[in-house]
Amino acid sequence: MLNHAEASEKFIEDAERTTWHDETLWFVRSKRDKVSKLLPEWEALREQASLIKDHTLANLGQYLEEFESNAQKNGIKVHWAKDAQEHNEIVLSIISKHGGKALVKSKSMLTEECHLNDYLTKKGVEVVDTDLGERIVQFRNEVPSHIVLPAIHLKKEDVGETFHEFLGTPKGNKDPQFLTEAARQHLRGYFLGANVAITGVNFAVAETGEFVVCTNEGNADMGAHLAKVHIACMGIEKMIPKRKDLGVFLRLLARSATGQLITTYSSHFAKPREGQEMHIVLVDNGRTRQLARDEFRNSLKCIRCAACFNTCPVYRRSGGHSYHQPVAGPIGSILAPNFDKSANVDLPFASTLCGSCSNVCPVKINIHEQLWFWRQDLMKDGLAPLGKSLSMKGMAFVFSNPTIFKMAGYMGRLVMRFAPFIVNNSLNPWFKQREMPEAPKESFQSWYKNRK
Amino acid sequence: MSSRSEIFGAIQALEKREIDHPGDFKSYKATQDVVGDFKNSLSIVGAICVDAENKQEAATRLSEIYPDLLRYTSHEVVSNGLDLEAIDVLEIDGMFGVSENGAIWLSDQFLPNRVAPFICQHLVIYVAKSEILATLHEAYERLDGNYADFGLFLSGPSKTADIEQSLVIGAHGARSLTIVLV
Repeated sequence: MLNHAEASEKFIEDAERTTWHDETLWFVRSKRDKVSKLLPEWEALREQASLIKDHTLANLGQYLEEFESNAQKNGIKVHWAKDAQEHNEIVLSIISKHGGKALVKSKSMLTEECHLNDYLTKKGVEVVDTDLGERIVQFRNEVPSHIVLPAIHLKKEDVGETFHEFLGTPKGNKDPQFLTEAARQHLRGYFLGANVAITGVNFAVAETGEFVVCTNEGNADMGAHLAKVHIACMGIEKMIPKRKDLGVFLRLLARSATGQLITTYSSHFAKPREGQEMHIVLVDNGRTRQLARDEFRNSLKCIRCAACFNTCPVYRRSGGHSYHQPVAGPIGSILAPNFDKSANVDLPFASTLCGSCSNVCPVKINIHEQLWFWRQDLMKDGLAPLGKSLSMKGMAFVFSNPTIFKMAGYMGRLVMRFAPFIVNNSLNPWFKQREMPEAPKESFQSWYKNRK
Repeated sequence: MSSRSEIFGAIQALEKREIDHPGDFKSYKATQDVVGDFKNSLSIVGAICVDAENKQEAATRLSEIYPDLLRYTSHEVVSNGLDLEAIDVLEIDGMFGVSENGAIWLSDQFLPNRVAPFICQHLVIYVAKSEILATLHEAYERLDGNYADFGLFLSGPSKTADIEQSLVIGAHGARSLTIVLV
């Protein structure tokens, strides 16, 4: 597997596409700015959301119990899974009881995290992703590159090709309206025929035992209301205490995500419809481990809006796949080491620590600080690549010895002035895509000493 | 040990932290003209707004918007056992609207079927002008104690921008949404 830097290098080979990706996501970020500034209470809402999540995480056990008991009273079957494997087994066991060739699934980052599609496909179940972007990447045997805009790494020509191959649309047709219509017709058949629908969960309300699912396309509802069985999969951190708290989160979610006022559909599922079976699978998969860590607990506040993706100068120019994780971007980079430190050691370093992610986060997660905490943690565990730990040690040595520091500065200036080829070559990663600066004649220290 | 007790065990093992709920959010006094703002939000989310003097005028406007299509009410759908998939235009009642985002609260008590507002080709929702609230906070205040088995905020027609961020109306749900203010 390529690490983040290597995968990014591939992504940016196509300069035109990289620029498009960068500018398109920045446009989404600008839309977020515009709608958020229309609300005078925006900052107060962020603070409120953050405080509600603080409170919920401090009392998570109590709220999970309350939710379970209310959901059961509502006639929903509640399941608990300690990890991804168990989550997948539970889902399969429910499906097996009801049969059917295909199931329809709307977007759920949790099922991506658990690799549910792979698991079910291996067991002979056809999973049909119904979100347009997810269906596109599923056809292409890829994974989403963005949690809100799954196919943002693709151009309409790519989608046209894919639909020509899988849906028989005319070759060369790349009109988004036409292609969306083709997907609508294609997926309607599956909606009408599926026995089982899987959805994610945006918020679960302890007070009422209901859960809320937000989409723009209406695919979660089309699936859930037509199927005999509805399975909703959620991480245990999706809990909120009261129904009135939803007002705060629904005001923040779509505005932060896409700059919309609210998603087209914000559906509140409390009870199964007559004759329907409704299941909820509550999944830990490392969340209680993260809950125990003071410096990383806040990451569990995330409502998956992806504002931090859209604003991140690294994400915008490296693409979601370079993060090799279901949740990419800055938030993904602080969630991933919790799953597997050594496999994700590169991700907390895939950042400039500029802090823009923390500034746009609707629940005020200190993302850039946590990136920095993870760097320290991973270095202490000896997981950093040799080059990085050696250069850090070298720098520490130089910076703590004033004489050597002065010498090194002097040598550096000398080399850059008289033998620039020593630094201006491909062995120096700073020379890639950039000119080295002109060396100053003297150091700041000597200028300071000699000033009149 | 079951996974349930394992998860609860892990949570209970943590040090107890006392953090209070911040209480209900008080929205800032926002707008005087909720209906005007509501209309503005409707245009942002891509819904058509019909502000009619009376039922007759509303019907005329709807025939202009959907000239060649048959329109059915919730009641007709139920009593005639119509196939929902075949319905071109469905007319339903919304409980109230929210001016900040153009959303309308629908509850399954007033729907012929939960899937109805999604599966029809075009959707028409009637909502009273006197039932427009400013923000979602007021909306949940209004819903306090009224727990529908299924309910939703619906704002605008079904849409997607998953292909190169080009906005396309009519993804899986209704291709158009008309709000009739009465």
